[in-house]
Amino acid sequence: MIIAAAVLFSLIFLVSLWLIFSEKLNRTITAIAGGALIVGLGKLLGFYSEFDALAAVDFNTLGLLLGMMILVALLEPTGFFQYLAVWAGKFSRGKPVRLLVLLGTVTTILSMFLDNVTTVVLIAPVTILICEILGISPLPYLVSEALLSNTGGVATLVGDPPNILIGSAAGLSFNDFLIHSLPVVVVVWLTALFLLLYLFRRELAVRPPKVKAVLKLNPAEALNDWKTARRVLIVLAAAILLFFVHNLLHLSPSFVALSAAAVALVWVRPNINETLRKIEWSVLIFFAALFIMVGGLEAAGVLGSLVRVMERAAVMPPVLFGVLIIWAVAGLSAIVDNVPITIALIPVIHGLGAAGVDIGPLWWALAFGAGFGGNGTIIGSTANIVVATLSEKTRTPITSKLWNKRGLPVMLATCAVASILYAIAFPLF
Amino acid sequence: MQIKDCMKHNVVSISATATICDAAAIVVKRHVGLLPVLDEQGKPIGVVSLRDLLELELPDFVNFIADVDFVHDFGAVETTRPAPEELAQPVTTIMQPITTIPEDCGLLRAYSLMLQHNLLDLPVVSKTGKLVGIASRVDVGTAILSNWPSQEAKEQ
Repeated sequence: MIIAAAVLFSLIFLVSLWLIFSEKLNRTITAIAGGALIVGLGKLLGFYSEFDALAAVDFNTLGLLLGMMILVALLEPTGFFQYLAVWAGKFSRGKPVRLLVLLGTVTTILSMFLDNVTTVVLIAPVTILICEILGISPLPYLVSEALLSNTGGVATLVGDPPNILIGSAAGLSFNDFLIHSLPVVVVVWLTALFLLLYLFRRELAVRPPKVKAVLKLNPAEALNDWKTARRVLIVLAAAILLFFVHNLLHLSPSFVALSAAAVALVWVRPNINETLRKIEWSVLIFFAALFIMVGGLEAAGVLGSLVRVMERAAVMPPVLFGVLIIWAVAGLSAIVDNVPITIALIPVIHGLGAAGVDIGPLWWALAFGAGFGGNGTIIGSTANIVVATLSEKTRTPITSKLWNKRGLPVMLATCAVASILYAIAFPLF
Repeated sequence: MQIKDCMKHNVVSISATATICDAAAIVVKRHVGLLPVLDEQGKPIGVVSLRDLLELELPDFVNFIADVDFVHDFGAVETTRPAPEELAQPVTTIMQPITTIPEDCGLLRAYSLMLQHNLLDLPVVSKTGKLVGIASRVDVGTAILSNWPSQEAKEQ
């Protein structure tokens, strides 16, 4: 009976991944349907109930995401993101390499603390504007923004969804990420940047015909509501400071994020319906439904068998095993969404831990693989999909062929550098 | 008053076999905002507006950024022209569906149609479907206002 259930549940999960990958069905709809199917069958077979499903949801992850989404929803209409991008454009004085470095840096720094999809959604339109008035193609800049923000997001606990998931499941603090992940990401990010400058050398060698127009831009004019922006930024800064000490004060990251959201809402007092409309509910529901599906896989013993398979592999030197995890997860994340991969692998790694494997270093391998792997294909990360979709409405659309020529080398290089650093610094992880 | 009393009878139109470049030349020469596209039988099959033509030159960012007031100089975009091969395309590639009204249509109905469908010019057809005229928002609007009680009426 349980074997039948294990096979059935794995089948449902794999079909769901395939539906998401092939874009036959929206990912949130797929997850809701898959979750309902798994709970229904679990009840029928008598080993997975609604209560188990509810217990499988990691509310710490959802709370952290929701809190940060509210802060971004308050900051977005103020024009602050537009302000930064216009500033980067002006400060570049129209020099392509400088423009790419500045826009890439702004996007990366923002996406280290905020959701990188939102960051890309807000920076990309201004990038198109700056490039058009300069008379150059926005393509290299859009691709670089997505790749660099994916890469930079790996540095912090709140930088990208896999990190939030891993941090919550493994009990890793904000500082743990700064100590273990940030140094690696700095080197990897620089590698990615130089590789991008090389890959786009021909496009970047073109001298923009109209530099004067960009110099005339005034960033302050792009900032519509400085008063609100200032308030939200102060709250955001306070939240980041609290993140540094959240472990010391025994505060969960989700509590910090949701309290910050509460303070910002009281201080700004926006039209709450408009603010809540900007929250990406589909993302939150996607996560919740995936937790429920993976909880079912765990209850049916699917993940247990996966643990037993991986246990056999874990007899190899731990460094090699970690590097193997980086590449395996990166490969999977390039093809499928990295969120379901991470959610499914977390219990597996916990299982390996229970079987006596030292899993401390494996969490970082998972984070690097999931984070850098997303660079590989046009559908590898949500930020990639976002810039590609935006560019479809321009005269120079980003194609998946172009991504394979520019993004894939970046993924391979970042994973290679991360593997080397991981192997060298292994005793520290 | 009906639309036929305020419309322009002389309609500038273009044949379906013309190119985008031809359409632009006619728009410039005749200083009009809307060109009905006619098939060989002279039947209207669509329209090309000034707006559709300008769409070819409009920068992409205008579609993404809600408020472009802060961009005081459009730089390279100001001197960007559509590619010649793009202009050599037949006019039917950018043609939009035509909205017409019968010549006996009332003025307020005509104006409301223009407002709701965001039309600046409205081609007028006879009962047999033949294009007999065209009216702009200004034509219709001023015709409506001309019916308002006049100064003399107030003095009486």
